Amino acid sequence: MNPDRAVGILLFLLAVGYGLEALGLEAEYLADPLGPKAFPLLLAAVLLGLSLLMVAFPGPGAWPGFPAWARQGVALLSFVVYAYALVPLGFVLASSLEVGLLARLLGAGWAKGLAAGFAFALALYLTFVFGLGIPLPLGAWWPG
Amino acid sequence: MDVLTQLAHGFAVALTPLNLALAFAGAFLGTLIGALPGIGPVNGVAILIPIAYALKLPPESALILLAGVYYGAEYGGRISSILLNVPGDAGAVITTLDGYPMAQKGKAGEALALSALSSFIGGTLSVVGLTLFAPLLAQWAIRFGPAEYFALMVFAFTTLASLAGRSPVKALASSVFGLMLATVGLDPGSGVPRFTFGQLKLYDGVDFLIVAIGLFAISEVLVLMEQTFLGRGGAIRVETTLVSLKTFLASLWSILRGAAIGFFIGVLPGAGASIASAIAYTTEKRLVDREGTFGQGDPRGVAAPEAANNAAAGGAMVPMLTLGVPGSGTTAVLLGALMMFNVTPGPLIFQNRPEVVWGLIASMYIGNLMLLVLNLPLVGVFARILAIPRWFLVPAIATLSFVGVYAVNNSAFDLLFMTGIGVWGYLMRKFGFPLAPMILGLVLGRLMEVNLRRALAISGGDWGILFSSPIAKVLWILALLSLFFPWLVGRLAKAR
Repeated sequence: MNPDRAVGILLFLLAVGYGLEALGLEAEYLADPLGPKAFPLLLAAVLLGLSLLMVAFPGPGAWPGFPAWARQGVALLSFVVYAYALVPLGFVLASSLEVGLLARLLGAGWAKGLAAGFAFALALYLTFVFGLGIPLPLGAWWPG
Repeated sequence: MDVLTQLAHGFAVALTPLNLALAFAGAFLGTLIGALPGIGPVNGVAILIPIAYALKLPPESALILLAGVYYGAEYGGRISSILLNVPGDAGAVITTLDGYPMAQKGKAGEALALSALSSFIGGTLSVVGLTLFAPLLAQWAIRFGPAEYFALMVFAFTTLASLAGRSPVKALASSVFGLMLATVGLDPGSGVPRFTFGQLKLYDGVDFLIVAIGLFAISEVLVLMEQTFLGRGGAIRVETTLVSLKTFLASLWSILRGAAIGFFIGVLPGAGASIASAIAYTTEKRLVDREGTFGQGDPRGVAAPEAANNAAAGGAMVPMLTLGVPGSGTTAVLLGALMMFNVTPGPLIFQNRPEVVWGLIASMYIGNLMLLVLNLPLVGVFARILAIPRWFLVPAIATLSFVGVYAVNNSAFDLLFMTGIGVWGYLMRKFGFPLAPMILGLVLGRLMEVNLRRALAISGGDWGILFSSPIAKVLWILALLSLFFPWLVGRLAKAR
């Protein structure tokens, strides 16, 4: 199937879902003639029209390739882990590992990436905490 | 002269040590961000907002810093265009056409010097334009009622849609995504929670900043992950950056025409630096390219687009400040930043917050001077920065995004949300949806709905009020015209 057509169908579903959710909105008192649902319904209608246009008149486009999906997947997973590990590990350690991993994914060696990551993370930490006065987590393992 | 007194007050704001330092920091970081391919002004501004916010800067100081990054990036973009044939940002794509051939002929220093001067002249003239034009536009727009505002915002979306990407349908869909995201949270009119799915976190709405950083910076990281970068960019040495008076004078008219074109295109909603530089280049090619030297290292082919993209950055400030309706992705992010600082741009800003507008305008005169110094004698420093390997640059952008988002609320949820938006933005790019309309929709969504509801409250529910006044009618017609503009141009091009 043409990619525009497939995306159009998804957007059609999004518009319908969003519109149905909007239909259910009721205000207890009405401060204005439109109320909370008119604008969302208008948006749903516009998106519905646009999605139908995409299905009816799709562009000539080919499906985009995802040549690096594995690398990107690992990177995304590391972002999620980073979000949870930031406080227990502390900013400097978590960021050094993150930079090291991403650098490795981009073709640099582990040692080079981790070293650059540590230098960068330390510099950022010092700049933020002592230069700008913005606190960053030190890590649960840090004594004291 | 009223404008001059106001401007003098602005200089009093801009010349305080803090604001001078911030203008310099903005100019420096802007040049850097512009010079590095891969991070454009939008990413740079988005990543710096949380820092400005966490520092509790006053709004005018924050805006001076962020705007400095914006127009500074238009200076920096030319460096890698000329030296590497790789545009540093979207506004500098055209500069490669004659800039790189000049460098190949051994005239890299001349190209850099001439383009820095062109950038300075274009940038400064557009600030003069902003000084004179913005108060007038604000005075005129003060008569806008809610119906006119609604029509104006529709106009902004349609021009952006017709110019932002290949498909106006996809660009409009992108703006609807942003508008939909803006409806999440408590309804401003009735207090009903909308699209929150019972999540208390979402009652305040979606955090603009997290969306901006996720959409631009994280999606950019994902795009950059598609390649591996084993080699390191070679360091480039730039010896002398001088341009002869003769070459400069020969390009002067091209610079001035480029500046005028850039300013007016910048003022138009939807059209930014990249379109301005392209139109300036084609205009010069038609007007002065008699020997067919354009594309082979003609200095005028470097001067005109560089004057235009810097002038466009100043011009784009006009609608953002005076109407509260930005015309591009970066000015939308700037507007979102101002709203975070509780400043609402619009015609009243000149009366209510003169220190913010005039402080900004004055700082832009100073910033352009600083940028001239940074980009003439010190251009070699930035040229050497181009040698930073990509395997370090990409993780560095990711880490800076994390720190920025984390610094605002200290929340892990925000980091996950930002990552999610980043994936969404990446998919949008892959399927040909432009990102700028979405951020514009998110920034304008609330305002658009409030104005629509106000208009219909005035008319007692009659939708006809949206089309009743002459100004509103003109805006609706312009919106329709802009939507069919690409199609019309296509037909005309075929007819030839």
